[in-house]
Amino acid sequence: MNVLIIEDDKALARELGLYLHNERFHCDFARTGREASEKLFVNEYDFVLLDLGLPDQDGLQLLAEARKERNQQASIIILSARGTVDDRIKGLDLGADDYLAKPYSLLELVSRMQAIVRRKHGVTQDTLSFGPFVLNVSDRTLRHGEQEVPLTKKEFDLLHYLLLHRHKVLTRLQLSEHIWGSMISDSDDRDSNFIDVHVKNIRKKLAPYDPGDWIETVRGVGYRIKTGPDA
Amino acid sequence: MRLRQKLVLLTTLSKGLMAGVLLLALPWAIEVFALRHTEARLRGELVKVRQRIERVGVTSFLRGQEEDQRLHYDLLEDEFIDLRRGGQLHPISRDTIATLPRRQQGEMVDFRVLRASFVHDGQPYTLEIGKSMESVEDVYGLLRSFAAYALVFAVLSTLLIELGVINYLLRPVDQIVQRLRAVQGPTPPPLPALQTSTWDFRYLDDTIQQMLQKIRTVFEQEREFIANVSHELLTPISILQNRFENMLQAENLPEEAETQLVTSQKTLQRLTATLRTLLLISRIENAQFARPDRVDIRELLGEVVEELDYRLLDQHITLRQQLEGTPTMAPANRTLLFTLFYNLLSNAIKYNLPEDGRIALTGAPQADGAYILVIHNTGKPIPAEQLPHLFERFRRFDDGRVEGFGLGLAVVRSVAQFHFIRITAESDEHGTSFTLRLPPPVSLSE
Repeated sequence: MNVLIIEDDKALARELGLYLHNERFHCDFARTGREASEKLFVNEYDFVLLDLGLPDQDGLQLLAEARKERNQQASIIILSARGTVDDRIKGLDLGADDYLAKPYSLLELVSRMQAIVRRKHGVTQDTLSFGPFVLNVSDRTLRHGEQEVPLTKKEFDLLHYLLLHRHKVLTRLQLSEHIWGSMISDSDDRDSNFIDVHVKNIRKKLAPYDPGDWIETVRGVGYRIKTGPDA
Repeated sequence: MRLRQKLVLLTTLSKGLMAGVLLLALPWAIEVFALRHTEARLRGELVKVRQRIERVGVTSFLRGQEEDQRLHYDLLEDEFIDLRRGGQLHPISRDTIATLPRRQQGEMVDFRVLRASFVHDGQPYTLEIGKSMESVEDVYGLLRSFAAYALVFAVLSTLLIELGVINYLLRPVDQIVQRLRAVQGPTPPPLPALQTSTWDFRYLDDTIQQMLQKIRTVFEQEREFIANVSHELLTPISILQNRFENMLQAENLPEEAETQLVTSQKTLQRLTATLRTLLLISRIENAQFARPDRVDIRELLGEVVEELDYRLLDQHITLRQQLEGTPTMAPANRTLLFTLFYNLLSNAIKYNLPEDGRIALTGAPQADGAYILVIHNTGKPIPAEQLPHLFERFRRFDDGRVEGFGLGLAVVRSVAQFHFIRITAESDEHGTSFTLRLPPPVSLSE
């Protein structure tokens, strides 16, 4: 997958590129609006990651431009530190596929990119399973055999996120970013300790069905779904 | 007191004063005038009688009377002419005029009498012409009432005219106030120049326009500053956070390093949260949010409670909700209001009793259309001296068991101010209450 990273800050572009490279994306970089225009004119990309605060051009203008040329199919994600209220709305109105306010977690970015890919190619995996449990994404349920395990919206999202990134240890920060990332206020409750409460509740709900501890606590770091025999 | 009322009062008082003085002076003035008038007439008649005597002689006057006097009253006995021969021969005195009593059919009646002496054919004569004071007073009574009516009429009519003129002149004041009131938010569109020929109002209007322009500029600058700050501070934070994330990806990272990275990430997260919240407060105060929504508060509270339900369960807190009527906020920003109630409820959970705490949401509509909503939670009381500072930034009611950044209530306050919600806090041994007075909703179509 080809990604164009339009970002004027070198260090930030480097970190982003590094992470995406590890996730098997092929990255191209542009540091100015002009450079970006040229690259968009010549190459075809699957993803354009667009920083709105470019030195020579308003990113929103570039967005409109990108939509016209040969990169009509590209998915555009806005990454902005400006964070004005209008930016998100304007960006999405101009045809951006998603919007992340800086600082964001790279895991969240990649998750959203993967979600876009699944959506575009229609390869949504309807069910994810761990041990005897099956998580159905389309009707948002968790089942143990025929029985449904009642989960709250947040609990479902958390479990889903852990399952999407099985094999990986997810930090509380990455989890809280995913669960509460859309809230405009970082009130005190983005405090990642509240993730523990959610995990505790999920464990409590799973326990009557299966004695195994499916959510593994990685001390000091975070949580991971235990790889079941089916994974 | 309004300027208009003061001006009206002033002009009324000054006119009243003038009318009073005139009315007091009027009898005297009229009397003087009437007497002068009578005198002038008497003198005129005297001249006529003298001319006649010159022409036809005295004898025709005196004939048929007692030899040396002729007294003649007119029909109504208002006036008389008295011609006498003899009397004072020496010296020929000047004409005199005086008010004298005369016997008239057995009664004494006052007459204004002009007495003149003259010599005709070597004989001295005395001529008196009189006019009864009663008839004089009749005239001046008439004059007096006429003058009084005229005065009242003049006062009233000028007063009415002045009221109209004052109203007309002061109309720009209302216009200016209306225009200022219509200003919503810090960046109103430029106003058209005020239509008035009064220099002072144009001066006032110009000054207001300049002031509005200044405010606009300051807000623009602040907006730019906020955008710059967020960019300049959030970008390096971004770099660090992404770097930590990348480092954590590394295979076979020593456990020690891993823990330290996660701790650093947490510190960074705290910095991010603080910065974002400060920026949020600034943006609210900079009026960067719109108020496009009509919000059903009951529904919104339901969402907030659902969002926080897991923490209520976790801390075994009972929530009681008793809202009367349908509390509504309009115009409002739903997202901001969500944050407001989220922060308040989150605090109510956070500062509740460690075991079996209670939270009560109660509300009732008020007679004036407002709605009073109270969020009460059990828990340790907030010291009275801390209450006034509760909503300030970085002020935290610290009892050592709760972590927070001390910005939750500062956000609550700015959102409340943005929505004209009055919020107060009370605390006693039973717990803490936040009382919100939601203003009456305004229909969006208006």
